[in-house]
Formats: sequence, C-alpha cells, structure tokens
Amino acid sequence: MPHATESTLTGWRRHVAVAFIALWLAIQLAMPLAQKLDLRAPHSPYRYARYSWAMFSRLVPRYEVSLYRTRAGGGPEPIPDIDHWVRGYRSPEPMPMSAIYTSEGEVLDRFSGLVTAIAREHRDGYTYVAAIRWTVNRPRGAETVEVRADATR
Amino acid sequence: MPRGEGAWLGPVPAYRLATVRVCLAVVTLVFHVPKFNGLLDAYTLSAFHVAPAFAWIPTPSRGAGIALMVLQHVAAWSLLLGWAPRVAAWLLAGAGAYIMALDPEHYSHNAHFHLTLLALVGCASDRVPLRRLILGGDDDARTPAWPERLIRAQLAIVFFYAALDKALSPDWGLTGAVLTAPGFVPHAPGLAALQQLNQAVLGAIPAALSVATIATEGALAVAFVLPSLSALAIALSVGFMTYLEFMVRPGVFTWDVLIALLVLSPAADRGWSVLHSPARAGFMAFLLQLDWLRRLRWVTSIATSPSAAGEVEPAGAPGTLHLVSPRHRVFCGLGALCALPAVLPGPLLVALVLARFGGGFLAARGFGRWDDLPFLLLGAYLAFVCIERARAAARWRDSSASNGCAHAKAGQILDRSRGQR
Repeated sequence: MPHATESTLTGWRRHVAVAFIALWLAIQLAMPLAQKLDLRAPHSPYRYARYSWAMFSRLVPRYEVSLYRTRAGGGPEPIPDIDHWVRGYRSPEPMPMSAIYTSEGEVLDRFSGLVTAIAREHRDGYTYVAAIRWTVNRPRGAETVEVRADATR
Repeated sequence: MPRGEGAWLGPVPAYRLATVRVCLAVVTLVFHVPKFNGLLDAYTLSAFHVAPAFAWIPTPSRGAGIALMVLQHVAAWSLLLGWAPRVAAWLLAGAGAYIMALDPEHYSHNAHFHLTLLALVGCASDRVPLRRLILGGDDDARTPAWPERLIRAQLAIVFFYAALDKALSPDWGLTGAVLTAPGFVPHAPGLAALQQLNQAVLGAIPAALSVATIATEGALAVAFVLPSLSALAIALSVGFMTYLEFMVRPGVFTWDVLIALLVLSPAADRGWSVLHSPARAGFMAFLLQLDWLRRLRWVTSIATSPSAAGEVEPAGAPGTLHLVSPRHRVFCGLGALCALPAVLPGPLLVALVLARFGGGFLAARGFGRWDDLPFLLLGAYLAFVCIERARAAARWRDSSASNGCAHAKAGQILDRSRGQR
C-alpha cells in the first residue's frame, strides 16, 4: 500500500518537512511586513508595495502616455517602429494606463529608458518624447511629465 | 482542521488535496496560463525591457519563451490529470515567479496568491489522479497533513496582511475612500441595478463599511487558524468572496480562495447518506462520480419494512433522492438537490470556474455579459432554496414531515446500523 508509507512521515522526510514548514512560514510572515513597512521613511512607515498582500489597498493612479518624436520647430510625429520596441504600444496617440502595482518613479524610469533606447538606436536627429499625464489619483509629483531623449546623429 | 484529524505531520484523507489540485488546475488552464503566456509572448516580442527584479535573472529569447509557454500548458494539463502533479505544480509556480520577476508590470497580488497555492499543492503527495478521484470508489487514501495546514496558514496570512494594509492605508481606515471611487464592474441588466444600489450604499457609509471590511478580513484570518471556527471561516469567506466578485470581479482571487477553502471541509467520512433507488441508478452513478471528497454513503431501498441487514428503511416515494446529513437532518427531492453543493464542492467549483471564465471569454469578445453566468447560477440556486423553504414551511404543520422530508419520517430514513437514532 503506497499510501500507508507516504502518509506517515518518518526519518529524514520528517526533518525535511519540518524545515520546509518553518522556512515557508518565516518567509510568508516576514516578507510582507518588510515590504509594507519602510522604517527609514520620515513620516508614516506604511507603504503600498508588491509582495505584501495589499489587495485593493489604495486608489489606483491612472495616466495617459503619448510616445512620439519631434524635430526642432516641428510637431509630434509617430515613432514608426514602436511595436517592435514594446509589443502593443501605439504612437503618437495617448495610451491609457494604470500604475496599479508600480510607483510613479518606476513609471518614469520605464518611459525614460524606452525613449533613450529608441534614440540610441535610431540616431536620426529626432527628439524622442514620452509625455505622461496623470489623470486619476495623481501621485505627489506634477500632473504632466515629459521625458526626452535626443537621437544625435 | 476537520475534527478527528491529527497534527501537521500526521495522515489525513488525500481527497481534499486532490480536489484542490484539480480545481486549481482548471483555474490555471482557463486563466493563469493564458494570461502568463500572453505576458511572456509580448515580452519576448519586445526589444525594450526594464531591468528585472534581480540582475542575475536571464532575459528569455523568443525561442526560450515559446518553449516555456508550451511547458506551462503541458504542466497545467499534467496537474489536472494528476500525472507527476508535484513536478507540474512546482514548474508552474517557478515559471510564474520567473515571469513576474521579469517586469514589475507583470506582478499582481492575485497571481502571487495563485502561484503560492500552486507551490503548496506541489508539496502534496496524495497520489490520487483525476481518474481515481472521479471513478474510484475508494476512501482509504491518506497523505501527510502539512500541505493542507500550510494552505490554511497561508489563507490566514493573506487575510491578516490584507486587513493590516487596509487599517494602515490612508485610502481605507476611517475614510473608506477606495469604496467610493469608480472601478465597480459592469453587470447585465438586473444585476446592474443591484450594483447601483451597492454603490449607493457604499457611497452613503464608506467609513463604516471600510471598518467592516477590515474587521471581516481580520476575523477570517483568525477563523482560518482555529479549527473550531472552520464552519464560520467557510461561511464568511464564501459570502465575502461572492460580494467581492460581484463588486470588482478580481480575476482569479475569488476562485483561488474558494478552492483553498476545500481544505477546511471534511473528507472521506461518508457522513452523508444517500437513499439509493434502483429506479435512479443512472443518476446515482453520476452522483458517485462527483463525490470527490468521499462524503456520500450509499444505502439501497429494498423493502418497505425494516431490512434484515439493518441498512435502511425506505422512503415513501420511490425514485425521490433522499439525503441524510451527518447531523441526521433529512433532505429529499428539491431539498436534497439544494444540499448537494455543500457535499460536492469540488465539481461545483469546477463548473462555476468554467462558467465564470468561459463567460468572461465571450464577454471580452462582445457577446454580452456572460461573465455574470456564476451569478445567474447562484440566483437560480437561491430561487430553488426559497421554493424549498416555502414548501417546508407549508409542510410544517404536518408532524410527519418535521424533518424536512415529505415522504418519510426521520426514523424511516435514518440508518439504525450507524446508531443515528
């Protein structure tokens, strides 16, 4: 009867199981707390964070981002190969997005990195722009932020 | 923990974990794998990537991405069928964690919980594949209890931190700002009116409902770790998750919590007696295949007088389904059908998951609000319960039917051989 032996833990299996249980519970108890509390913060140590079981805990910031390129004195032009850079992105029309699990800084870093990478690759004299406009539940920063990268020849 | 079952390292019936695994595999197949394969597909087709969570995590090539997508499908089917389920579950959990770590946009609390459950199911050594779960009439399979206990503890941890987060968050606490913000899901006509009413109530007393939500989550966290509160934990969770699903339809979270609740259910106790009528042999055989938790005990109606074997005395209406609960309450006909979901939660959850995500598939393609299908099923069920209650109330004057069964007295249904009288 395989079940008779499998259902009763003895010997090394018992020690492994106990070690796994202890490790699992320690991680599951400590990690969300460490994520949730920023003890170096000047005011409240609470922060909304990933890996912390913070379901529906905050008002979701939403924003629109326009990705385009421009020349000096010219208007916005579409970035021709935007779908090659990030699948599903469009240019130059605004794309509605939400920062449900990301911070304002991560949003800025993402689009800053994107336009920098495109500019570095193209080197066509255009300036590549990501214009971010926070529409709902704006974080502390400005309502509209633009990040630019010059594609010098 | 159901009564009479031992400590963390002792044996428990294997059917709970096997049922959890099957239900979780269905959710994985219809929601998790399509979602995560979609993320991986878009990721490997994109030239730009943000830095992964850890610098040492390798970025997958297109070929590796396709291989991982295929592997996830194979693992999900393997998990469902019970073929190398531990390997399949850990593979799915590991692949999911890898995909989440590639980009912060891939993260979600719901997916995190799903991966956690997959990892815990991967610890189970129940050795009850799907075929045996459905077709096997056995009830002797046992497995170490600790994966079940960890699932309970995990539920408690999740709800404890969810409550703590809401208590600390400036958008909950005594403001309840989240409850008044837009974000309520649309519903079909009828349910939409109910949603409007819900929004109006939330808008009127957000602070009170914010505190009530925190209290509910806190109470659930406590109830999950106290075996004596298992029934309360199940009832409160089902109510809370149903409301959450109605209000915001949070993807997979509702279904994962409901599936995890299976570890709180009794199993292999044969606590429910079914009066088996030869006239309904086909239906009874079907019912047998749905009894994944091995809760039903079959007794055959063979005579109109006390049987020689002391098995059971027949009910007065041949062909009518009769159920006797572990507390000796008798259900018959429609009442028995209404009681069955409590006895057969595994197949019920599979059906609801397929209705929810199959309906969601149709709704996403503009075929109407089919994602409301679970609520329509719930509404139909509640209508049956109301009809049955009304009939029971009408029968109340008849003392012979005081047990809820119009066909037989309790003594005729109950099995004397089990000392139930």
